[in-house]
Amino acid sequence: MIVEALAFYLFAAVAVACGVMVITSKNPVHSVLFLILAFFNAAGLFVIQGAEFLAMILVIVYVGAVAVLFLFVVMMLDVNFAELREGFAKYLPIGAAIGIVLLAELVLIGAGWVFGPDVAGVAASPTPALSEATNTEAIGRILYTKYVYLFQGAGMVLLVAMVGAIVLTLRQRSGVKRQNIAAQVARDAKAEVTVVKVPTGSGV
Amino acid sequence: MEAAIVFLPLAGAILAGLFGRPLGAKGAQWLTSGLMVIAAVLSWIVLFDITSEGKSYTVTLFTWVASGSFAFDWALRMDSLTAVMLIVVTTVSAVVHIYSIGYMSHDPHQPRFFAYLSFFTFSMLMLVTADNLVQMFFGWEGVGVASYLLIGFWFQKPSANAAAIKAFLVNRVGDIGFALGIFAIYVMTDSVNLTVIFNTIPDLVGTKLVFMGVEFDAITVTALLLFLGAMGKSAQLGLHTWLPDAMEGPTPVSALIHAATMVTAGVFMVCRLSPLFEYSEFALAVVTIVGASTAFFAATVGLTQNDIKRVIAYSTCSQLGYMFFAAGVSAYPAAMFHLTTHAFFKALLFLGAGSVIHAMSDEQDMRRMGGLAKLIPVTYAFMWIGSLALMGIGIPGTPVGFAGFFSKDIVLEAAYAAETMVGGYAFWLGLIAAFMTAFYSGRLLFMTFHGTSRADEKTLAHVHESPRVMIWPLYILVLGSLFAGVAFYGGFVGDGMANFWGSSILILPENQALANATLVPIWVKAAPLAVGLSGLALSYWMYVKRPDAPAALVVRIRELYLFSLNKWYFDELFNFLFVRPSFAIGRFFWKRGDQKTIDGLGPDGVAQTTLRASKGVSLLQTGYVYHYAFAMLIGVVVFVTWYVATS
Amino acid sequence: MTELPNFQPATPEIFLAAASMVLMMVGVFVKPKQAYRTVNTLAILSLLAAAVLVIMVGGSTEAGPQLAMFDLFIMDDFAVFVKILILIGSVAALIMSQGYVQREGMARFEFPILIVFATLGMLMMASANDLMALYIGVELQSLSLYVVASFQRDSLRSTESGLKYFVLGALSSGLLLYGASLVYGFSGATQFDLIVQSIASSEETPLGLIVGIVFIIAALAFKVSAAPFHMWTPDVYEGAPTPVTAFFSVAPKVAAMALLLRVMLDPFGELIIEWRQVIVLVSILSMLLGAFAAIAQTNIKRLMAYSSIGHIGYALMGLAAGGEIGLKGVLVYLAIYVVMNIGVFACILTMKVQDRMVEGIEDLAGLNSHAPITALVLLVLMFSMAGIPPTIGFFGKYYVFAAALDAELYALAIIGAVTSVVSAFYYLRIIKVMYFDEPKEAFDKRQPAGLRGVMVTSGFLSVALAPFLSVIVTPAGIAAASILAP
Repeated sequence: MIVEALAFYLFAAVAVACGVMVITSKNPVHSVLFLILAFFNAAGLFVIQGAEFLAMILVIVYVGAVAVLFLFVVMMLDVNFAELREGFAKYLPIGAAIGIVLLAELVLIGAGWVFGPDVAGVAASPTPALSEATNTEAIGRILYTKYVYLFQGAGMVLLVAMVGAIVLTLRQRSGVKRQNIAAQVARDAKAEVTVVKVPTGSGV
Repeated sequence: MEAAIVFLPLAGAILAGLFGRPLGAKGAQWLTSGLMVIAAVLSWIVLFDITSEGKSYTVTLFTWVASGSFAFDWALRMDSLTAVMLIVVTTVSAVVHIYSIGYMSHDPHQPRFFAYLSFFTFSMLMLVTADNLVQMFFGWEGVGVASYLLIGFWFQKPSANAAAIKAFLVNRVGDIGFALGIFAIYVMTDSVNLTVIFNTIPDLVGTKLVFMGVEFDAITVTALLLFLGAMGKSAQLGLHTWLPDAMEGPTPVSALIHAATMVTAGVFMVCRLSPLFEYSEFALAVVTIVGASTAFFAATVGLTQNDIKRVIAYSTCSQLGYMFFAAGVSAYPAAMFHLTTHAFFKALLFLGAGSVIHAMSDEQDMRRMGGLAKLIPVTYAFMWIGSLALMGIGIPGTPVGFAGFFSKDIVLEAAYAAETMVGGYAFWLGLIAAFMTAFYSGRLLFMTFHGTSRADEKTLAHVHESPRVMIWPLYILVLGSLFAGVAFYGGFVGDGMANFWGSSILILPENQALANATLVPIWVKAAPLAVGLSGLALSYWMYVKRPDAPAALVVRIRELYLFSLNKWYFDELFNFLFVRPSFAIGRFFWKRGDQKTIDGLGPDGVAQTTLRASKGVSLLQTGYVYHYAFAMLIGVVVFVTWYVATS
Repeated sequence: MTELPNFQPATPEIFLAAASMVLMMVGVFVKPKQAYRTVNTLAILSLLAAAVLVIMVGGSTEAGPQLAMFDLFIMDDFAVFVKILILIGSVAALIMSQGYVQREGMARFEFPILIVFATLGMLMMASANDLMALYIGVELQSLSLYVVASFQRDSLRSTESGLKYFVLGALSSGLLLYGASLVYGFSGATQFDLIVQSIASSEETPLGLIVGIVFIIAALAFKVSAAPFHMWTPDVYEGAPTPVTAFFSVAPKVAAMALLLRVMLDPFGELIIEWRQVIVLVSILSMLLGAFAAIAQTNIKRLMAYSSIGHIGYALMGLAAGGEIGLKGVLVYLAIYVVMNIGVFACILTMKVQDRMVEGIEDLAGLNSHAPITALVLLVLMFSMAGIPPTIGFFGKYYVFAAALDAELYALAIIGAVTSVVSAFYYLRIIKVMYFDEPKEAFDKRQPAGLRGVMVTSGFLSVALAPFLSVIVTPAGIAAASILAP
């Protein structure tokens, strides 16, 4: 148990520290790298809670795809981050004040967290014991049955995201010559090539 | 038929008012005049039908208000009193309509004028046919509005506008009294219907009304409140100041509204409500005193006025006083009799004066007239007839005499026969006023028509007899001035009285002034004639024989002269007492109260603040996403903090 | 162990989801030139078919609400009422958009499809019975809206507005999720009925739950553009293509408002004493802002943005009142708001000078002299917006004010009355500009028939519906009763 607790605090502390670094570091590439580190720590927290499937997904999807995409974008776009930071000092006091107030309140609320015995009764979807079903299976079971509506809904959201991305970026220019592989493959030598006998000396 | 009499003028008013342009001046003139003539003819038929046997009935048109016990209809109460008023109103109105065709022929707004005239007639008819007090009040206010519009008809003249406003405001004082009287009657009898009221009043004798801890006799208070309304409308002493100023309106208007009909509405109202007034001796005494005082006061003022129309206006005021004190001594038929004859000869006088003014290129000052008799002989003759009727010339004991002779005599005799203190007061003041009436009538005639002309050449060159359309209708009035007295004497106040009036007028047995009027001593009968003749003779002497006499007299009694010339300083008094204080209060509320306080804090201030707020809010909209996001976060934090802090 | 969920109540949504995918196929395989027109027509038809399905499915809810999808989805009279409103708004927006989209180089078949997706999201919002279902609906709708806002991708303003909307929308989604997680954390449930049970079973309402509700209110207030979460509205309204703005101002507002109503009155209905203050404050701020900020505007789309903020303030008044009367008031108000707003935007869409859209209020000057019918319609609509009888706008206000008075929220009602007087200023100013100012360049005469039809219908209904208001009020009453029934 001690090890578990130590690991939890380690992961949590590193994750929070990374979060701070993401927004404070001057170099945007560093920010993204800290973000990746934060994801790893979050994945670690998942593992401690026995949700190794989520941990893996987090690493694969967020680190492998999303964060790397971020990195590309940051590196390819020539954004002057120093300029974006202008006025940071101006807004810092009031921003900090608001943030601190909110933080204090949330801490207060968290400290007052009680889970009444009756309330626990209605808690939704308890995780099955590991012996009954694996983590992945448990998620699958609930995702494709009870939460199929949400699953499909999320699918629609992703579809919209895809359509939106295409609509906003795809341009069809006229006059652009593209390689048409099907046409290339379907080409018949007989139709395209004619053998001409050239009489000697007369030319074509 | 009754409804037709009332609504034909309304139809004329609506048509001429709304479709004046397509109809044109001619169309509007003949349409309204034609409808008026029809109404007049119908009125005479109704008069003979009703008064032959003193009939009384009600024509209900439709329900107006039905709210609990506060329920009444639009209904026409037809009885002798109404019928008499109908013929007076419609006849004079028809005459005035036709006369106006000539008189107003150069005016650019003729359809409007005729619409107003017809509207006035409709309102007046509504007033006299009312079978409940609310309907009467409607007509009462309707004639007030029409009077306002017609006095100010020449709206380009500031004096006309001022006169119109004055008439309206002074009438408001009386109208408040009238309205309060109606409320009081409703409180007492739980109805505004005349029939119900009249049936209930005898049971209410002695009822007390407590106001501010003081007990008053309910009937007396009510009668006095209603009489206040009558005083306003009929220009009685105190509330008379608007009438001379009202002469700013076109002369036909003065003839119709401010001589023959509207100003007599007060007299009519008192007669109509005789079943109420009869039960309050005190109220009757007040009516008598006010009437007699007005008769005297207006006559004294009339002595010295120089504007031809103002002389006649004060004469009207004075004659209305006669009618009131007749009513005050319970001689309501005499009041109505004088009202009727007066309508004819006073309208004749006004229209005659209109002809004079017309002939003199709108000159109204008698000091610049004179010697017109030969130039406009027909008008001259008309004016004499009217004036003699006004003076009350006739031979006592015979049916020979002008209309005013019969009516004024019976009024004075009734006052004498009342055998009360107030009756005596009224008789003597009335007699003195009759003398003065004769004097100023003679003065008017002699100054205008006799002697040498004091007008300039240019005006004199233009003097011409009025067109036929202005002369012919006057013959009707001449007939009335000559024969209305003798013709109606028997029915109105003579032997046929009971049959004629039927149940429309109530005279309690103890008030027998009229019945005793024929029994007065011979000198009482002869006195009015005597003073009339002497007054006429005096004016003849002063203005024809010895034209320098008036000036000499003025020097000797300068104070009295000025007192009369300035109308007893009523306008100045009112100006000091009411007008200037209310102007001051009004200005205070306007400048300090309205403009500075209410506008400053209210409309203007709010509008300014609104604009400033609007600009301020727009500035918040910076266009930066992070500002927006920040605003949202602040909102959330504020709300959360609110809950964390309050829990 | 596995059972097939009950699909039947969700038939309209399932149909619309399938239809949107079919439409994409149609769009790909039809000739490019006709793709937009074909898909647009089909999209309108599918939305209408969905409306028919809603009525067919909803018609049988007399026995009470029907739950579906393992209780994540609810179909009751409230949902039926709101869905019909949403579908009317979407259909009208698609009809109105036709001419504009073709002129302004937006004629890609994805446009109607995205509208259908957004509509699908809204229908899901209207039927959400779970915080997660709610979130999915909101996201589906929002994502589609972000895209259509910047649909005119060659226009800087359109792109900017889409981006602003997206960034702020993401923030609001964050707030929503945070609030939902707080609620879940303190009540142990995401499903609405279970939350009710949980709240009922605990003696004292935990503070965290209330804070969670505040977060959810903030997020949904953003969606309905209520102050102080309204900041995106003027910029997005102005920047987005006009038909998109028209769409924004109607259907998403109704959907988000419906969601707010359901969340506040169904799971958290017991806590009305707690959250009422927030709603009252938001309502007051919205009404004040809608009244005052609009006065300084010169762009009519921006003006309509503030106008809609104000209208949402009035609608929230009904929510603050709570109870059946309040809920009914809000629903009547929303229905009337939809009718009026569609008409106003139809009028704005006719503001075209020589094939160029104009948006300034002064461009309306003297409209009466060259387009009397448009001017008349706009006159009626502006009267209705200002809430002047006998237009329906008056009755909309009447119901919410009556509800507020019934709940003894006098201060709120008084502020509402004051702001409605202030806001009358800018509505009447438009009328003044149209009728009394010197005429400017005439608008193009040729307008698509669909647009004209929508415009005239809306103007006509704004007056003609007044005597037959029971058409709206009766169903609204039933809808209100259905959500408050235990």
